[in-house]
Amino acid sequence: MTPRRSNARMIQEWVTAYSFLLPNILGLMIFVFIPILYAFYVSLHDWNALSPKVYVGFQNYVTLISDEQWWHSVTRTLLFSVVYVPLLFCLALLSALLVNGLRGKSVGVVRTMFLLPFAVTSVISAIIVMFLLDPRNGLANQLLSLVGIGKQQFLGSPTQAIFCVILTLLWINIGYNMTIFLSAIKEIPIDYFEAAHIDGATRFQSFRYITFPLLRETNTFILIVTTIASFQIFDHIIVMTKGGPMNSTEVSVLYIFKEAFQMLNMGYSSALAFVLFLIVFAFSMIQLKFFSSKD
Amino acid sequence: MNRFIIPTVSIIVGVAMIFPIYMLFIGSLRSETHVFDIQLWPTEFEFANFVEAVTSSHLLRSIMNSLIVSTSVTVIAMLFHAMSGYALARFQFPGKNVIFAWMLSTLMIPFAVIMLPLYLITKNLGMTNSFAGLIIPAIFNAYGIFLFRQFYREFPKELEEAAYIEGLSQAGTFFRIALPLSMPIIAPLTIGFFLANWNSYIWPLIITQKETMWVIQVQLANLVGGGYVTPWNIVLAAAVIAALPTFLLFFFMQRYLVEGIKMTGIK
Repeated sequence: MTPRRSNARMIQEWVTAYSFLLPNILGLMIFVFIPILYAFYVSLHDWNALSPKVYVGFQNYVTLISDEQWWHSVTRTLLFSVVYVPLLFCLALLSALLVNGLRGKSVGVVRTMFLLPFAVTSVISAIIVMFLLDPRNGLANQLLSLVGIGKQQFLGSPTQAIFCVILTLLWINIGYNMTIFLSAIKEIPIDYFEAAHIDGATRFQSFRYITFPLLRETNTFILIVTTIASFQIFDHIIVMTKGGPMNSTEVSVLYIFKEAFQMLNMGYSSALAFVLFLIVFAFSMIQLKFFSSKD
Repeated sequence: MNRFIIPTVSIIVGVAMIFPIYMLFIGSLRSETHVFDIQLWPTEFEFANFVEAVTSSHLLRSIMNSLIVSTSVTVIAMLFHAMSGYALARFQFPGKNVIFAWMLSTLMIPFAVIMLPLYLITKNLGMTNSFAGLIIPAIFNAYGIFLFRQFYREFPKELEEAAYIEGLSQAGTFFRIALPLSMPIIAPLTIGFFLANWNSYIWPLIITQKETMWVIQVQLANLVGGGYVTPWNIVLAAAVIAALPTFLLFFFMQRYLVEGIKMTGIK
């Protein structure tokens, strides 16, 4: 298709291509790729940022296996993921079906209402929820007292805090995921539903046998992306609970953060981070495999 | 029956979704003693809260910092990512596939995992407490490159070929012809990048210790988690001021935002 090019043209094309790529190659190298290699290098050392690094081999990785606090942060992260991911998935899908059932102008209005929390930044959403869940006079406690339930501690309670964080994340992320579901549903040819309708299928049946199977790619995409994100939850935790009360919300990234920037255990923190990287990497590979097999 | 149930349920859930945001606005207008009142319509309008919010912290300064950072990151990222995406979609050169695969592989590195080494590297480059430290590391992101590449692969070749035959260089063809016609991808990505950077909290928290360099998210988090207790009505007023730019962007650019979200999902 392209005409035969002279050598000079070819060289010119190479030079243009490399110069177009150079800024990103350098940037990704210095600010993403080298840091992960550096994380591994630091993880092989004992280092408190002040005295020189001491090479300790894989000692940091051995230490973490018997570190109860690390296991605690891992189980907290898993609890968070196990509750949050399926809930977000189901609620976003349900919302998409709901909005898909609307006709006319109301579609836009309702979609805007669902999506608006997405425009609230994580810190502001944390502030709003902290305000509504204020243990003394917050709106939630006032409403509960109206129905005769005593004051709850919410973010101050070791059993409730993590669920309050989950609720906050659901609130701001449902609309985003709903939008992805909705655009996938809209791509399903309407004939399928009409045919099913003529055959006497109920609404539930056409969802069960048409919509859901045809959303397979979107389902997988959302599940994997949400799972990976759930392993890395941090902003809301550090603003709303700082890992408390009684370490009940001390998730993996917060533990890594504290070890690095508060305890100054650079080597150990890097080992923890590298383990998290391997886990996320494994999930990303699954995602890549899935999406490269489709086209 | 569905004709009534679906709209009714939708509206109820929709109202529940925006209710907390409504409470933010209402709370920001109340006095300290009435901030927790349960009435849905405020009986007082304490606009002084906003004055207090602005004067009691470096709120405007941090909003300016956020604007500078988010705008710079977005503009530079759009240019660099478009250039790379175009090169990967249109040019033939040795190592093309290796470079593309390597760029995509950086997507698997979570930010939380590299925050410590990234801090150490940026610190060694002398970029702590500076706009450079806030802006430069945030620019590079393989996802933008990937989406631009997809866009330019589908982009009709005829105009560029004509320009090329007319004697424009390949770089010239990109800057004069392809880039100005790339609004369908630049618009949604711009909104996405701007919002993501306005939202950014961990990295600015790590890289800036000086209050004068704080971005708005760090400033706000400090109001609720700092050493002294700020009254709720002032915190809410500050949050409202901080939320205004994103809400405006949201309402005026919603179409592009939705386009961008769809692009992410389709991949």
